[in-house]
Amino acid sequence: MPPLKPAKSRRPASIWSAVSLIVSLFAVALTSGCGDNFSDLEVLPTESYMKKPSDFLGNTYTIRAQIDSQVKWEKGVGRILAVSPESGGARLPVFVPDAVGGNLHIGQRYEMRARIEAGGLIYVESLRKY
Amino acid sequence: MLKVYASISLGLVLGQITSHAQGYAPAAAPARPVPAAAGMSAPVGGMFESNTFLEMASRAFDPSSDSMDFENGSFAWKGRTFNLTSQRAFRARFERFLLASPTEEEESYALLMNDVLQRLSVASDRSDDAIIETWEMLFRAARFDPDGGNSTIVANQVFNAWRIRKEMRGTALTQRELADMRRHQQTVVANRALMLEKLKEKKQRESVRQTSEKEGNSEHTTFPTEGAFRALELAETEAKLIAMEGQAALTGIQAKLQMQSQIVAFLVQRRYQHALLLSGFYQLLFKGSQQQLEVGKGELKSFFPNTDMVFTVDMMAFVANEAITDVNKGVDAVNTAYAEDRAIIALERLQETFFLGEYMPELNAIPVEQRRMLLDLYRDMMEAVELAEAKDYNGVAQYAERIALIAKDFPEMRVLSSVETAKSMSDMAVFAASQYRNLGDIDKARAELQQAIDIWPSNPSIREFQQETTKLATAGSQGVQIFDDLYKRGDHRGIYDRRMDLGFALAEDTERQPLLMEVIEQVSTIDLLVAQSAEALKQGDPYVAWELLAEAAKFDPDDAPMNRARAELAPRVADFVVYLDRAQRQAAEAQHAGSLAGFLAAQDIYPASRMCREGIERQSSALMAHLSTQAEAVEE
Repeated sequence: MPPLKPAKSRRPASIWSAVSLIVSLFAVALTSGCGDNFSDLEVLPTESYMKKPSDFLGNTYTIRAQIDSQVKWEKGVGRILAVSPESGGARLPVFVPDAVGGNLHIGQRYEMRARIEAGGLIYVESLRKY
Repeated sequence: MLKVYASISLGLVLGQITSHAQGYAPAAAPARPVPAAAGMSAPVGGMFESNTFLEMASRAFDPSSDSMDFENGSFAWKGRTFNLTSQRAFRARFERFLLASPTEEEESYALLMNDVLQRLSVASDRSDDAIIETWEMLFRAARFDPDGGNSTIVANQVFNAWRIRKEMRGTALTQRELADMRRHQQTVVANRALMLEKLKEKKQRESVRQTSEKEGNSEHTTFPTEGAFRALELAETEAKLIAMEGQAALTGIQAKLQMQSQIVAFLVQRRYQHALLLSGFYQLLFKGSQQQLEVGKGELKSFFPNTDMVFTVDMMAFVANEAITDVNKGVDAVNTAYAEDRAIIALERLQETFFLGEYMPELNAIPVEQRRMLLDLYRDMMEAVELAEAKDYNGVAQYAERIALIAKDFPEMRVLSSVETAKSMSDMAVFAASQYRNLGDIDKARAELQQAIDIWPSNPSIREFQQETTKLATAGSQGVQIFDDLYKRGDHRGIYDRRMDLGFALAEDTERQPLLMEVIEQVSTIDLLVAQSAEALKQGDPYVAWELLAEAAKFDPDDAPMNRARAELAPRVADFVVYLDRAQRQAAEAQHAGSLAGFLAAQDIYPASRMCREGIERQSSALMAHLSTQAEAVEE
């Protein structure tokens, strides 16, 4: 599991402005269809995952799902959501770090980029509504 | 404690066996303390209930009428008291009568006896020839079996009286001859004395004249000797005459007394016809002034207990006639009661009538079929009385139902109700004994059990109590070892199944007793959950049923009945169980995310699942805690 980003940064504002610009450009590129990092990923085989999560450790998948409920939330850490995959099957628990998630509401549909971490945790690295 | 149990068990079992063997239970129960807990004790009036039953049974089943008192051996009839003999002897004769059928011989005998009695009545021909002819008829009557030879006795008595009378006639003749002889002898003696006196005077005169030459007085000595001899003869005649008069008087009295004695004997023996026969002959043989009874006063006093009358032969004849009339009325009453389906009344009246007129041909007016039915009823009732005395309530109830089929006027419901009450009382006493035994109050347990035995010796609950007590006593000695073995093997169900035995065995074991209680509580909870699961399954909710069984499994996953129920239910909730098992297995391996996925999947199948809700909460918390720890570690 990657270390979580610290909440505070002490770098100068100019650097931050530059980074923001780059990210914005990158985001525009993504939305325009160039360099889409979700579409390249395989869809998580939920049935197989359910049977043996440990077989998927370290892999990264895309998950298209609807938020069913928020199971747990802890400030500064993130939230555990129960999502219903578009492909059907049982609900899956996913962890959305605070840094990744914004205002997530039940019923919203998201396409998520997730990596399978230790213990079978579905760690959402990024997500976007669809 | 074990000794005490053994004491209860053996002592009371022996007591019970003895009671059964003898056909009765002890009449008096030992003093019984009043139970402390009213809810678990038989009422104090248990013995009263038992006695009440016996009194009821005695009234309901005893076919004897009130006039028959077998305890004192007496039968009261119109102020007269007969000797009843023993009940067994009476029962034998009565049953023989009920089994017998009237014969032609008995009818002929009845006709003959009536004929003889008719000929002896005052209105009939009383000539010597007619009387002799009547007397000869007695010998014909004696040839019949029902007569029992009593007519011969009458004939002999009469003949004896006639013989004495004849002898008295001969005696009177001899007396007259002796009297004549006495008169002659008196004359001879008196004349001889006068003549001797005259001769003496003449001799004295001649002796004066011939003083010198005459001596010889041989004549003088001869006369006094002859006179004495004649006087002696006279005295002998006198003695003979007196003796003959005394003998004649004695013989006459003897004949009269013999006949009077026999009349009384016939009456007391209920041979009324023979009493009438002999009375008739007596009145012919002896004059009116000889009618007062001189003998049998003792027997008559007991026969007529409340009277100071002067007993006469006529009075005996009157009583005999009255008895015969009463027998006829009794027979009519029996037949009427029987015809009106009042068999119990018919049987009671028949017993009275039978005893009063046992030797009377009039009893033959009772039909044979009726006799047989009354015999069945009589035997059933006697058997029921004996069963009631032995307190065999089941037997009493059976006989009550049987009797009710024969006799419509039998109080069946009263008997059955009393039987049920007595049985309930005994059961309650056994229950109280069990409770006291379980509480360790042995004295009260013993008293209650004795009470139960007194009320109903053959109560099956008593045997069960004995077996249970014996089992407890046996188990007590091995209880510690059994408990240790089972507990070591984790066989909680085995401990639970022997909880009663082990409870007594470990009652004073402070180390094992809490463990035993814990196991009992645990298995009881499992049983409760398994039962609830079965109920949920009946209501069509297999997932709830499974969760209940899963809950039970937490107490003892090896419990056989619970696992059996789970195995039966598993196919119906297989998908749910697969996810749950997976979630639990991963939870056990601290794979919180995988476990959480399993619980969520299971919850999708059964959204109301408590196990899933709790599992989700538990695993999400653990997962979040883990993530939080990681985040803090990164920050640092």
